[in-house]
Amino acid sequence: MQSNPAQEKNFYQKASGLSRKTKDRMVIILFLFPALIIFLLFVIYPIFRSAYYSTFDWKGLGEATNNIGLENYRKILIDTVFQKSVVNVVIIIVLSLAIQLPAAIILSTMVARDLPGRALFRTIFFLPYVLSEVNAAIMWMLLYNPDPERGFINGILVALGLNTVNWLADMNIVLFAVFVVLTWKYFGFHMLLYLTGLQNIPTEIEEAARMDGANSFQSFWYITLPLLSGTIKTSVQMSVLGSIQQFILVWVMTKGGPVNASEVMATYMYRFGFVRFQFGYGSAVAIIMFLICVIFSLLYRRLTNKPDYLTGL
Amino acid sequence: MTKKLSLLLSVVIISALLLAACGTPAATEAPVATDAPAAATEAPAATEAAAEPVTITWWHITTKDPGLTEFQKMADDYMAMHPNVTIELTILENEAFKTKLTTVMQSGEVPDIFQSWGQGGMIEQVNAGLLKDITADLEGEWGDSLGALDAFAVDGKSYGVPWDMGAVTFWYNKDLFAQAGVEVPTTWSEFLTVCETLKAAGITPISVGAGDKWPGMHIWAYLVSRIGGAEAFSAAAASGDARTGSFEDEAFVQAGYELKKLVDGGYFQEGFLGATHDDMNATFGNGKAAMELGGQWSPSVQAANSADTLGVKNLGMFNFPAVEGGVGLMTDIVGGGNGFAIGKDAPAEAIDFVKYLTNLENQKIVASTGMGIPVAKGASESIADPNMVMVADAVANSTYYQLYFDQVLPSAMGSIINDAVQKIFAGTATPEEVAAEIEAGFLAQ
Amino acid sequence: MQSIIPTPRWMRKTVPRFFQYLLLTITTILIFVPIVILLFGSVKTTGQMYSHPYSIPNPPNWDNIIKILSTPSFWGMMKNSLIVMVSTTGLTVFLCALVSFVFARLEFRGKNWIFNLFTVGLMFPINVAILPVYFILRQLEQFGINMIDSLMGVILVQTAFQLSGNIMILRGFFTAVPKELQDAAYIDGCTNFDFFWRILLPLVKPSLAAIAALIMIASWNDLLVPLVVLNSDKLWTLPLGTMQFQGQYSQDLAIVSAFVALSSIPTIIFYFFAEKQIVAGLTAGAVKG
Repeated sequence: MQSNPAQEKNFYQKASGLSRKTKDRMVIILFLFPALIIFLLFVIYPIFRSAYYSTFDWKGLGEATNNIGLENYRKILIDTVFQKSVVNVVIIIVLSLAIQLPAAIILSTMVARDLPGRALFRTIFFLPYVLSEVNAAIMWMLLYNPDPERGFINGILVALGLNTVNWLADMNIVLFAVFVVLTWKYFGFHMLLYLTGLQNIPTEIEEAARMDGANSFQSFWYITLPLLSGTIKTSVQMSVLGSIQQFILVWVMTKGGPVNASEVMATYMYRFGFVRFQFGYGSAVAIIMFLICVIFSLLYRRLTNKPDYLTGL
Repeated sequence: MTKKLSLLLSVVIISALLLAACGTPAATEAPVATDAPAAATEAPAATEAAAEPVTITWWHITTKDPGLTEFQKMADDYMAMHPNVTIELTILENEAFKTKLTTVMQSGEVPDIFQSWGQGGMIEQVNAGLLKDITADLEGEWGDSLGALDAFAVDGKSYGVPWDMGAVTFWYNKDLFAQAGVEVPTTWSEFLTVCETLKAAGITPISVGAGDKWPGMHIWAYLVSRIGGAEAFSAAAASGDARTGSFEDEAFVQAGYELKKLVDGGYFQEGFLGATHDDMNATFGNGKAAMELGGQWSPSVQAANSADTLGVKNLGMFNFPAVEGGVGLMTDIVGGGNGFAIGKDAPAEAIDFVKYLTNLENQKIVASTGMGIPVAKGASESIADPNMVMVADAVANSTYYQLYFDQVLPSAMGSIINDAVQKIFAGTATPEEVAAEIEAGFLAQ
Repeated sequence: MQSIIPTPRWMRKTVPRFFQYLLLTITTILIFVPIVILLFGSVKTTGQMYSHPYSIPNPPNWDNIIKILSTPSFWGMMKNSLIVMVSTTGLTVFLCALVSFVFARLEFRGKNWIFNLFTVGLMFPINVAILPVYFILRQLEQFGINMIDSLMGVILVQTAFQLSGNIMILRGFFTAVPKELQDAAYIDGCTNFDFFWRILLPLVKPSLAAIAALIMIASWNDLLVPLVVLNSDKLWTLPLGTMQFQGQYSQDLAIVSAFVALSSIPTIIFYFFAEKQIVAGLTAGAVKG
């Protein structure tokens, strides 16, 4: 907000008798209040409650009485399975940033402007995001079936004279197989963000660059991309936080297996919380995930500290 | 004018939202004040009536027919007989049920009647004071009419009743056995030979869904039971001073090694490590594997999941073979089933309804429609499905009925054992390590 | 929409166009394979689905679809899903617009602090928070506010968890509206509310449509909140309906596919309309400085 406060005050005094500040304050309170109430009640309060339970050895039944301090946290941090889940999440994040987001940017610029048939492509690309995660998982499990007669992908490999792959059963491959599904499911979401962001970039700027002799790559690289930086920031943050919290697709397809090969933090949490009923422990995992997200967001803000008109972060 | 109007409108909308959204004193006091007189006048009228209206909540997980329709009918019939009773059914899929029940229970709420597998998980619910002691109700005729009540009793007190008790056995494709020229094995070494011969004939010996973990775990559990008999498990699973064994005992480790022979021999289908229970039945049902270890439910799933039902055309069943040198007999059975637990606030009508649910007539319906294997004495003659009859006979003739490990042990143990045993399938841990992991998990409970 | 600005550089365009279409077509195929399997599956039997998932259903088995469409509960669930989706979307878009406007356009003490508070929601998803959330719903119930086994409970919880991400997205788009516009409006005697309601909102309609599309989809596919909040099947939403075909030991994959395909149709239609809004300004470069 770089506008001159004195000037603003002037505008206001012309408009009404009340002081601008009072009226601003009224709007602020009126506009923030309803959202804030719902938010504090259903989102913020649960965080504190989870933090409270994370210090208990609690099975989720009856009152939590056995306070064990930070013991749950200690156990989690030394658990090799949890460490594995963190590594897996990092791999997913890196792959998402390296493959999923660039693909979303490139495809969105293609279908944004004047390509004949773009509306059709846009709708198609968004389709996977419309389907529920449970369902996407089930459909991909069929595709990944190891039997070439039943699994489409192995069927194609056999038709091409290649060896079949145990997509979900091979511990070295399963995480990448899961990542493919994540990309399939979520790149439409990022594409939508970019499309909406592109809308704020006047086509004239690109046109002008082309007039000056820039080819389409140059105009994309030097004009479009920098102007999209705000949206890219939002998209990166959403992608990272989404990867950290990724749950349903992994749980339905692999349950984090075989033998933790595709374990992510959220499946780890769910296993302890809802399968083994160790809610104190599960809450502690949830709080650790939360802290990781917070730390990431703070660091990310530091790193991208340049004044930003899109996220304001 | 319009400015003011729109401002006013937004104020109204926002305050309406506020009232709806949060528990402000204004919002909560109003209904109390207006309801009080109404309640006061209604109360005496209600007590004057012959029977007070009662609402029973009933959560079950029989989402599919025939059970879905039959349970609904039983509830409807009961309500017709007792006009004051309303039964509110919530029918949930297994995993969804567990999530919902867990969420509801941690806030201290519990349905009046709900699906339970007894023992392990139930003990924790009993300790938290969430279940109702129905021992007195079961004394006499009702209790005498049912079998397998122990599974729903803790320290001699009953908190629920079973309605279906099945078992896991080997199902095999007779055509494929004939094709490879093998006979039903009665010992473990014969079994391994059968596997080898089948494999040599180009037939996948066993279909297993190790991705879902529990189907594979059953093989290990049976091996434990065959090697160590009833004793090994009960010694390890007991708590306190009664605990004379451990999950690192010889039987558990050796079971791991025997299971490893199947993995190393390559006797499972391609990609078994990622296969689900549905996948495993599709493989078997399509005649692409000769054997499968599964419960009384398996034949119907095999048929449902296969296109041509090749695998189930000529279906046979045999008990898990005896392991040479082991204590357990081939006639010992590993099984378990479904029941209903009674919530702490359940009205007397709820117990009466469960009594009705498990009476001989309704148990015969369970039997004849293939919903399960009934527990009421005299009901099993009504079983129509020949495959179910085979399982029921195996249960009836069993020398020992070992309840599924995860039903006996504390609720977390099922998942701990499943995760540990999967490592044998994946070959990422030795049987000793797996046994040690289970023991450590048990000690942490 | 389909009009192409004639270009003298058509030669330069043809070659990249070819590669563009190639890439788009490959992506389309990759996207379609699972969806086609879903559609095939919905006209197969479960046995065929597990055994030959990618063969063409011949002859198609319409029983699944007929069975679903002829059950009254399907239409009941469709109605409930629509109620929840429309309410959640309307409420969330409304609340997010109010909040984002304040963050993007007004200055006050503690602004950053409150904005950060809102972003915290992105870091604590509903599947982590469900236990405490249910606890609160139960508390509200004891205050006499009917939340459990009521669509209102589902709507409010969904809304609460949709706020963070959408406030973040929307604030960005609000900030992008040129400051000069606001100044000009104030000179003309507009109040904050006028500016927000009559100038800003119409300008950012495409952005509102974008978040509306995202909220709609999230609400429509949400399984966890309705599962935990709703007891009676009269109030069930479509994702809960899938449970009818999932037994303790197996699921009827073909009928599940049919159910999912049918229940996805409304979201696809809604998305189609929202998308028209979203891209309305794309070719024109809508919000210009």
